Amino acid sequence: MAATTVPEKSSRRHAGRPVGQPDGTQHRSGLSRKVRSNIQAYGFLIGAIVCFGFFSWYPMVREFIMSFQRTKRGVTTWVGFDNLKQVYHDPYFWTAWRNTLQFTVYALIIGFIVPFFVAILLNELRHAQAYLRILVYLPVMLPPVAGVLLFKYFYNPEYGLFNHILKTLHLPTSQWLDSSHTAMISVVIAATWMSMGSATLIYLAALQNIPGELYEAADLDGAGLFSKIWHVTIPQTRMVLSLMLLLQIVATMQEFTNVYLLTGGNGPENSTTTVVYMVYQYAFRYNNFGSAAALGLFLLLVLAGFSGLYSRLSRNSD
Amino acid sequence: MAAFTQQNRTLISSATLSRPRAKFVYWTVLTLVVAVFTLVFLGPLYWMVTGGFKSAQEVLANPPTLFPKHPKASNYSDAWSELKIARLLFNTFYYAFGALLFQLVFDVAAAYAISKLRPVLGNLILGMMLATLMIPAAVLIVPQYMTVLDIPLLHVNLIGTPWAIWLPTVANGFNIFLLKRFFDSIPEDLMAAAKIDGAGPLRTLWSIVLPMSRPILGVVSIFAVVNVWKDFLWPMLVEPDPKNQPINIGINSLSQGVPQNVLIAALAISAVPTLLIFLLFQRNIMSGLTAGSLKG
Amino acid sequence: MSRIGYRRLVAVALVAGIGLASAACSSDDKKDDPGTKSSSSSSSAGTPLDPKTKVSITVDCEPPTTKKAERQQWIDDVAEFNKTYPNVTINSKDAFPCEDPAKFTAQLQGSSQADTFYTYMTDLQQVLDAGQAEDISAYVNDKTVPNLKDIDPNVLNVLKDGGKLYGLPTSNYEMGLIYNRKIFADAGLDPNKPPTTWDEVRQDAKVIQDKLGSKGIHGFIENAGGNQGGWHFTSELYGLGGTMVDDSGKKATFNDDNAKTLLTTLHDMRWTDNSMPATPGKEWGDVQKAMGTGQVGMYVGAPDDIPLVVQQYKADYKNLGMAPIPGGKTSLFGGNDYMFKKGSSPDQIKAGIAWINFKFLTPGKGQFNYTRNKTDGLPVGLPEPFFFTGASKDKDNQLKAASATIPVDNFKTYVDTQVPVKPEPPNAQKIYTVLDTVMSGVLTNKGADIDKLLSTAESQVNSLLAASQ
Repeated sequence: MAATTVPEKSSRRHAGRPVGQPDGTQHRSGLSRKVRSNIQAYGFLIGAIVCFGFFSWYPMVREFIMSFQRTKRGVTTWVGFDNLKQVYHDPYFWTAWRNTLQFTVYALIIGFIVPFFVAILLNELRHAQAYLRILVYLPVMLPPVAGVLLFKYFYNPEYGLFNHILKTLHLPTSQWLDSSHTAMISVVIAATWMSMGSATLIYLAALQNIPGELYEAADLDGAGLFSKIWHVTIPQTRMVLSLMLLLQIVATMQEFTNVYLLTGGNGPENSTTTVVYMVYQYAFRYNNFGSAAALGLFLLLVLAGFSGLYSRLSRNSD
Repeated sequence: MAAFTQQNRTLISSATLSRPRAKFVYWTVLTLVVAVFTLVFLGPLYWMVTGGFKSAQEVLANPPTLFPKHPKASNYSDAWSELKIARLLFNTFYYAFGALLFQLVFDVAAAYAISKLRPVLGNLILGMMLATLMIPAAVLIVPQYMTVLDIPLLHVNLIGTPWAIWLPTVANGFNIFLLKRFFDSIPEDLMAAAKIDGAGPLRTLWSIVLPMSRPILGVVSIFAVVNVWKDFLWPMLVEPDPKNQPINIGINSLSQGVPQNVLIAALAISAVPTLLIFLLFQRNIMSGLTAGSLKG
Repeated sequence: MSRIGYRRLVAVALVAGIGLASAACSSDDKKDDPGTKSSSSSSSAGTPLDPKTKVSITVDCEPPTTKKAERQQWIDDVAEFNKTYPNVTINSKDAFPCEDPAKFTAQLQGSSQADTFYTYMTDLQQVLDAGQAEDISAYVNDKTVPNLKDIDPNVLNVLKDGGKLYGLPTSNYEMGLIYNRKIFADAGLDPNKPPTTWDEVRQDAKVIQDKLGSKGIHGFIENAGGNQGGWHFTSELYGLGGTMVDDSGKKATFNDDNAKTLLTTLHDMRWTDNSMPATPGKEWGDVQKAMGTGQVGMYVGAPDDIPLVVQQYKADYKNLGMAPIPGGKTSLFGGNDYMFKKGSSPDQIKAGIAWINFKFLTPGKGQFNYTRNKTDGLPVGLPEPFFFTGASKDKDNQLKAASATIPVDNFKTYVDTQVPVKPEPPNAQKIYTVLDTVMSGVLTNKGADIDKLLSTAESQVNSLLAASQ
């Protein structure tokens, strides 16, 4: 991967260069020079600071404040824990969490493991590599609406392609998006089809960085194919795998677009109501922004928990 | 066919593959993989393109037909004019490249300042920027939306303007992280040399740092464009006027008003520009993407 | 706690002598209340717009490009309106459907709705909560809206709050049963005798399914999402004489035997008779599409679906008929209207009223230009809107009859059966969202527990209503 080349760290300094120069000049120039260079530096920073301030830092604070407020007819009042209580007592609070976890687990089983094995497979093939890679990546380039609405069409239980294929193969057909049992898995399949290209390419790059000698050594030990995958491939790509795992958990816990487009959000019997869809529903359907923010706070806590757990585990395993 | 080209040693060695039985297995697997992948990844696209040529009855027919019986190109022209796809595509590119421009200018400048100019409190600012990575975007949707309605201090409402899409993309901690780390690896000697030559910070950035940073700028650019391209919830909220909507929102909101065959034709048209861009630049895009995510 | 705030707010509003909504918006110092503004204007609020006034307004709900005829009519009407008011610029905004509840909420929060904006009649409370509508009481009289006296007061009342008027109706409907006469005939049913009870609906749906199911035609279709499920549930429950909330508007009352009977019937139609498609409607437009493409025999809907399916899916309106809501006890009545964005100038409000008056409230003009509708191939003779009374009603009926293109018999039972109308419940859109789940349970789960679905929905609606007070 040519693009990964990073200039060497400056730790090895070239002899003969006046390396102490920057420090030296600063000593001579004194305070006013320091002030000037700081002003200059902040001139470079100001655009980003303003954007972060308005669109990231301030909303973070506001998210917290809004969770404890309610606005009626333009008048905002503090309501303490009322919003948190309201969302907690929503009959579908736990349903939404269960669905979100379900989506995450399915997405891990399908969307995490499949790309990894596809990458291993592609890495072994000596032919048609470029073609296969392009194929896998093709859906990533579709606008999400095209991929999703296409799958919605395929999933139709009556005239959809999928049931037709199953029927032709004499397999039982499915209600796909129109049954609470299969709606979520159908969403995950569509989502995986559209996004697995990125993960596959990342794993491929990681696989190519595994030193060949390790496999040769394993061969000498008489290791079989699966033993080599287990003892060489997985440990060697552990960093990438675990990072991708975290990123994917955090991303899938925020699922909105696919369920919104495929099942209208709630899906059959609320079987695809995710936490983020519920946030959206509170804000834009129930017109209750405070409770929406409160639900966001719950989500934040859970995701922070995941990240904390991850960093703890990865520290322990080092 | 005889020789398996020497490449990086992988799970199975080339020598093993050269054995006759292994060769047979290899070619069987290869054929299968190519066939299955073509079916799985190109099949739906084929169905989309041909579906766009089918009549309203045929597209809903059971069993479905593999080829359109009487191909109707008029679906495509109907989709183009009725869904105003040209306008939607233009909007999408306008938002994507605007976002790209703002991210490149502001985030590069900021990362450069933190990495090389090192102002007071620079590390604190960096820390606060990276802390935003810990907050999932979806959590902030509601307060961010309230903010865009009425920007504090300035009291302007950005809803319906492209700024509502462009500016929030600048607040991307991941960009800052990638760029700052890359800039850190540029030798101080070079900076010092430039300073001796009398170059100011802007000049140094322009003529020394940026030319060296092409790979990372490529990565940031791809992410910037792809993120806008893929985004759904945010543009749906901040661009309520159908005239200003990007393609994802526009097609979805009009999908109820058109017959299925015209809708599928619209989906096919909407997929063309990026697929073309991808096929033309696939080498750069794929290497850029893997590089960015692997090192990130 | 919030109730105290509310009471104090009412007191402030009374003392100040201005509308509640404008008090709520007082934090915005740039926007005065309409009283002071109109006095500073050259003429008072009650007079029609001076044709010389130069003013520009944005108006919602221009028909989309997919409804070609209606869109062209709109454009022509703007041109004709500009002959009288050459200095009024109307910037039309199309959207389809005209209102999506979620987008509408977002727009109200952001004050990004049009100057003259489209709403459902159920939206008034939400609009006032957001402080987004002008009180137009002072602007609307028999000079600005000459037919005002003939507009059904019950319809205007839906647009009033605390005696103040906030919107002008443009259409209203009464829910009924839309059915495909050709499918009825093909299935051996009498198209002139549509079902009137749920038992008959079920029987007829089964006959259609048995006879025509092999051609992909279903007996009946129902909604389960996009607030449409809840809206239909409410309509159907009203048909059986049920109610959604009690008189205080704070307690759900829909968990009763009527609801159970209704849902059991729907469940049996879906799962025992298989007379409904496997995919229920998920958002607005799904069931209309099914009717328009001739895939379904019946569904519950409003008469304005008929021009829609004719225009978009090229359905033949001769095949479409309408019957009263099954059960026939009460019929949900709703409709749409335009309101005026908070902060509009008096001239903008006057221009908006003048436009609505021309386009929607004058027999023979705009939407009531039946000769043009006939030429454009739009159905004439639909029993909607029906907000006129007295002389305007007579004139409208006369004009309608002169250009009628649809066989009046197709709507005979719907028009002749005088079902008492009943408005939608307060906070309707929230309630509908909750009830989508109930419909979805019945229509997608063979083993649905109807009692549990209803009791869960009841507690959720109660909680939402409590939070809305």
